[in-house]
Amino acid sequence: MMRPRQKRMTRGDLLLAILLLLVALAGLVRMASAPAGARVVVSDGERVLYTAALDEVKDVDLEGPLGVTRLRIDAQGARILASPCPLKVCMGMGPARRDGELLACLPNRILVEVVGPQAEEDYDLLSR
Amino acid sequence: MSGRWTLLVAGLLLLLGVGWWVLSPEPGEVRQVRLLLGTTVEIVAVHPDGAQLNQAVAAAFDEIARIERLMDPARPNSDVARLSVAAKALVVSPETAEVIALGQALAERSSGAFDMSLGRLKALWGLDGEQPHLPAVAEITVALRGSGPGSLVMDGRTARKAAPALQHDLGGVAKGYAVDRAIALLRQHGVTSAAVNAGGDMYLLGQRQGRPWRIGIQHPRQPGTVLCAVDVSNRAVVTSGDYERFFEQNGQRYHHLFDPATGYPSGRCQSVTVIADTVAVADALATALFVLGPEKGLALLSAYPGAEALLVTADGALHRSVGWQEVVTKNGGSRKSS
Amino acid sequence: MTCSAADPQELARVRRKIFLALFAALAVAVHALEVLMPTPLPWFRLGLANVLTLVALFLYGGRAAWTVSLTRVGLGSLVMGRLFGPGFWLALAGAVCATGVMILAWRWWRRWFGPIGISLLGAVGHVCGQLLIAWLLLVRHAGIWQIFPLFLLMAVLTGLLTGWIAVVLLERLRQYAPFREDE
Repeated sequence: MMRPRQKRMTRGDLLLAILLLLVALAGLVRMASAPAGARVVVSDGERVLYTAALDEVKDVDLEGPLGVTRLRIDAQGARILASPCPLKVCMGMGPARRDGELLACLPNRILVEVVGPQAEEDYDLLSR
Repeated sequence: MSGRWTLLVAGLLLLLGVGWWVLSPEPGEVRQVRLLLGTTVEIVAVHPDGAQLNQAVAAAFDEIARIERLMDPARPNSDVARLSVAAKALVVSPETAEVIALGQALAERSSGAFDMSLGRLKALWGLDGEQPHLPAVAEITVALRGSGPGSLVMDGRTARKAAPALQHDLGGVAKGYAVDRAIALLRQHGVTSAAVNAGGDMYLLGQRQGRPWRIGIQHPRQPGTVLCAVDVSNRAVVTSGDYERFFEQNGQRYHHLFDPATGYPSGRCQSVTVIADTVAVADALATALFVLGPEKGLALLSAYPGAEALLVTADGALHRSVGWQEVVTKNGGSRKSS
Repeated sequence: MTCSAADPQELARVRRKIFLALFAALAVAVHALEVLMPTPLPWFRLGLANVLTLVALFLYGGRAAWTVSLTRVGLGSLVMGRLFGPGFWLALAGAVCATGVMILAWRWWRRWFGPIGISLLGAVGHVCGQLLIAWLLLVRHAGIWQIFPLFLLMAVLTGLLTGWIAVVLLERLRQYAPFREDE
């Protein structure tokens, strides 16, 4: 070697990596400690497309701009089985079953949100 | 230098993309609320063309405002205000004539359980005002004098009261009619999916997101919870309940749905929901069924093909019309399961 | 031959242009490869193309990094047939934020951070940019920030990996004279 090899990872790099990991893990822990959800609410970000109870086992086909996203609701929670989006991020998110947890397929505009028992009822309008 | 060139290309690409994004057609939904008919009127409508959609919704609201001008008793020049002071025959607008004819038909069919001539009785109880109170028996007898199905006769556009002192109130039928007119306007503008809701008098046009509209029905005794949900398309849904406007005195609840036979609030039901082809009919039927109770009420309902009803009687029991099960969906049930 | 070794400045400029073009082309190829390659998690991507942006940044500076990253998104999406699709906007926003953050970090904090640190910051910028554009254009739903921790974790892991690869690549490249003289 003509000149001394630089350290591959500087102290700053290491500190930054640890800091970011801590932030990410803290976020994940906070989400994991949320109470269990009761309902699944599917929306496209503005409107509710579909809702169902989390304890009903079933597969649901959801229409988005790209095609059909298949949602499975079972004992593990709600998860995306198949999606027409290119990256399949939503499928990799695994099951969601806690209050506030979210599965999102942004390209196909499908937001699957798990909500607590007190959250919104299952209708478009209320007749009273 | 290549940097500037890169920037130019990137900028151009960005511009192109934004243009594509803006111009690409997207089905729009609007939700607008206005204070009309003495309540909040909400219109939800879907149409691919945003400009046309806004136009349609504006036209629908305008139509409701027009009907209100014709039938609002508080406006001095409205048909209803003129009718209340009329001593002899009065020519009214075709719309008002239609509403009165519709109400009179139901008044006769329901043997007076639905009654538009209770203006004086309602004023006496004051449930629409600030200080409702329990009137004396004698006052009620006076307020009921002369009322009933025969108290107003329509001949074409000419309305004739049986006695000058009678006060008529088109109430819910006028409200329902206004919603029906708004839906007609939305249809004319090419809207195929919409909901118009005037304080509980609602019509659901077409479908929403490829499935029927799902309407939750208020539980009459547990605020914030629903009794059940119904899936409807191209139908009107109206609920009348004793929980809407009432006061309590000596442990007794006095609400706004009066039995014309007694002059007191009808005690047979807690709430009635009617599904029918028009909101005007659904509203009148809901009131009539509330007064009649399940046996007579459901018998009356069978004269209206396509109309369905759910009654919650005073003991909390549910009574459904024969076809109700076909529209009701299980609470929390599936819509698009595969 | 007009291009003679007698003009070292001209030679350096041409060399620089050629290598930059090579980096950009490689970035497009890596991008395409990553999209096409089957992985155990169908959506998971390492962002290896960012290695080329990092190398360009450390060898030739901010402008070169922009060239490589924007070319990668533009041409890569074109090649994969996704130009102006929803995924394209996410990719573009991610790339712009990542590159911007990396360049600023490189300018201000070069003393503390090596390529790994810069890569980490870029990965975080990538996630922020993607979520921001998703929130702006696709879904106005505060809930999409729920995904942030998961994405951040992924970003840290992939950022470490791509940073590491960039470090090794830079070391190798700097063994050759043409990449050393710019230092």
